[in-house]
Amino acid sequence: MAMDDDLFEKLKILSDAAKYDVSCVSSGVERKNNTVGGIGNAPAAGICHAWSSDGRCISLLKILLTNDCIYDCKYCLNRVTNPIKRATFTPEEVAELTIQFYRRNYIEGLFLSSAVEKSPDHTMENIYRVLELLRYKYNFWGYVHVKIIPGASPLLVKKTGMLADRVSVNIELPTKESLSLLAPQKRVENILQPMSLIHNEIAGAIEDKRHFKNAMRFVPGGQSTQMIIGATPDTDKTILDLSQNLYDKFRMKRVFFSAYIPVMSSPNLPALSTMPPLLREHRLYQADWLMRFYYFNSSDLFTENEPNLDLEFDPKLMYALRNIDKYPIEINKASYEELLRIPGLGVTSAQRIIRERKNAQISYDSLKKMRTVLKRAKYFITVKGKYYGNVKLDPEAIKAQIRMKEIQRQISIFELL
Amino acid sequence: MVDYLYDGTFEGLMTCIYHHYKKERAAGIYEMSNYQQSLAYPSEIVETDILKAKTVSDAINSKISKEAYISVYYCYLSNDANKENIILEFLIFAFKYGKNTMNFYTHEKVLPVNEIYKRVAREEHRVLGILRFSDIGGILYAKYSPDNDISVLLADHFADRYKYEKFIIFDEKRKKAVVYADNVWEIKENINIDNVEFSSNEDMIHRLWKQYFTDLAIKERKNIKLQFQFAPARYRKNMTEFI
Repeated sequence: MAMDDDLFEKLKILSDAAKYDVSCVSSGVERKNNTVGGIGNAPAAGICHAWSSDGRCISLLKILLTNDCIYDCKYCLNRVTNPIKRATFTPEEVAELTIQFYRRNYIEGLFLSSAVEKSPDHTMENIYRVLELLRYKYNFWGYVHVKIIPGASPLLVKKTGMLADRVSVNIELPTKESLSLLAPQKRVENILQPMSLIHNEIAGAIEDKRHFKNAMRFVPGGQSTQMIIGATPDTDKTILDLSQNLYDKFRMKRVFFSAYIPVMSSPNLPALSTMPPLLREHRLYQADWLMRFYYFNSSDLFTENEPNLDLEFDPKLMYALRNIDKYPIEINKASYEELLRIPGLGVTSAQRIIRERKNAQISYDSLKKMRTVLKRAKYFITVKGKYYGNVKLDPEAIKAQIRMKEIQRQISIFELL
Repeated sequence: MVDYLYDGTFEGLMTCIYHHYKKERAAGIYEMSNYQQSLAYPSEIVETDILKAKTVSDAINSKISKEAYISVYYCYLSNDANKENIILEFLIFAFKYGKNTMNFYTHEKVLPVNEIYKRVAREEHRVLGILRFSDIGGILYAKYSPDNDISVLLADHFADRYKYEKFIIFDEKRKKAVVYADNVWEIKENINIDNVEFSSNEDMIHRLWKQYFTDLAIKERKNIKLQFQFAPARYRKNMTEFI
C-alpha cells in the first residue's frame, strides 16, 4: 500500500463520514486463530481499545468505503446534493489499513459502511471484496462488521454474511412516514427484505450446526440496526415498540439509537441550532437494556397518555413509581425476575444476592458490602422485613426525597470547590 | 506460630501454605525481600518446593473450587501489600467450608479476595485493549507499566492473536517481559529494553492512527471526564494516540 498524503486525506474524509454510526461493538463471537498463517481472533466479550474525547469506545476501525452517494437523504451529510469533498477507498487500502492497525492492537477489527456509489450491487460487491481480501488473502480472523446495502441482490448478501461476523441494515427512521419524508429514495421493503433474509440464514446456519460439526457459519455475531432519534416527531413508544418487534421477529442482537445532530437546514428537519437530544438517547438505551436483560416489554414502559420516557428519572424508576403497589420487594424472598425490577439494582447484584442467600439471610450491611447501589433501591425494598427508605412508600414522596438528595449532593460538591 | 518468608513466586507462596498445615501454623506470610522482623514471631525462610506447591494447588481446585483457585492466583498477581495474608486467611476459611466457599461473597475472609480479584481482572481486560505494539524490524514490541503483575495473564491472548508474529511485551515497572516466537512464550525477568528502533513506515502508521483517533470524536458530544475514566492518565504514556 502506498502510504502517502492521499491516504491521510481519504482516511480523514471517510472516518469523518462514518463517525455518527453508533455501533462499535466487537462482542458476541468467540473464535481462535486456527488457520495456518492466520492473524487475529475474537474473544466473546469484545474489547475496547481506545476512547475518543467524546468518551465513546473505539473497538473497530470504523470507516466508509466511499462517501460518494447517489441518494439524497435530507438528514445525511453525504447526500448527493451536498457540495462536500468525496473520496473512495480501494478494497486493498481498507484491508491493509485494518491489518496494520490490528497488528499494533489499536483495534479488534473493522466496521465497514458505505454510501451508495453507482448502485446498491456495485457497493455491496466492493464491501464483499474487502471481506474476501481480509479473510483469504490476509487470513484475518478478527472481528468484521459490515453494512448491508438495501437493494443489493440476495446472493451478494448471502456471500457477505458467510464471511462477516456481524451485519447491519440501517432502519434509519422509526416509521414509514418519516422515511418517505426524509429519505424518499429508500423504501421500507428494501430495508426489511435483507433483514428477513439474514434472519432466516442465521436460523438455518444454527440448525445445520446441530447436525454437522463443520457447518458454514453465517454472521455468528448476529445482525443489528440503527435509527436516528430526534430528526422526526416520532415518540419513544413508537421507537421502542419497533425495537421490541425487531428483537422478537428478527432476533436482532442490538438496536442502536443515534441522537440527531443537525448538520444542515431543511424545512423538514429540526433547526440547526437544536442541541442533539443526548439525554433522550440515554433514556432510550436504558429502556432498551430493560427489554434485553431485565425481562421488560416495551408495553411496561409507557402509559396510555404518556408515549415518551421521562427525562428526569430513569425508566425503571418510573416503572416502579407507577406500579408502587408491587413494592417493597423483600430481598430475601424475591425471585431473580423480581430483583431485577428493583430500581438501581443490576444483573450482577441480583445474581450475587441469589448466590449469597443460599448460605444465610442477607442483611442491609451485606448488601452494601456487595457494592449494591442503594441510592435508588432503598425506597423499593425491605431487608429481613425492614424498610430502609425513611420515607412513606408513595410515588410523590419518593420523588421529592430523590430530588432533595440530588440537591444535597450538588451542594456538597459545590462546597468542595 | 511462625512468619514464613517466600521468594515471591506463586509456588513459593503455595509451599508456605503447605507448611502451615503440615509443619507449623503460619502467623503470616511475607516476601523475603520486604520482610521486617516482627517481635511477636520468629521467621523462617521457606524453600520453594514444586511438588508441595502442586499438592496445595490441586487441593484448592478439587476441595474448594476452580473459581477459588483463580481468585487466589489473581490475588497473588496483585499489588496489594497484604496479599499473602489475605490469601492465607481465605484458604484457612475455604478449606473448612469447601465447595460452598465462594457463595460467602461478603464474608470478611472472602470479600478481600473477591475485591482484589476484581481489580486485577479489570486491569487485565483493560490492558488487552490499550496495549500498543510497534513494529521493530518485523517484531511487535509493546511497553507498559501495569499496577498489577499481569503479564502472564496477557500472554495466551496475544500468542493466539499474533500466532505467526514474534512479539515482546515489556513491563517497565517490574523489568520483565513476555517474549513470544513460534508458538511458545516465556517470561524473562530482570531485563531492560531501551532505545528500540522503529521500522521505516512505523511513523506513518502512528500518524494515521492518531489522525483517525482525533477525527473520530464528535465535538457536540465532547466528554473529557468520561474519556479519563476509561483511559486513566497513568496508562497514557504508552498509548500511541496520546504520545
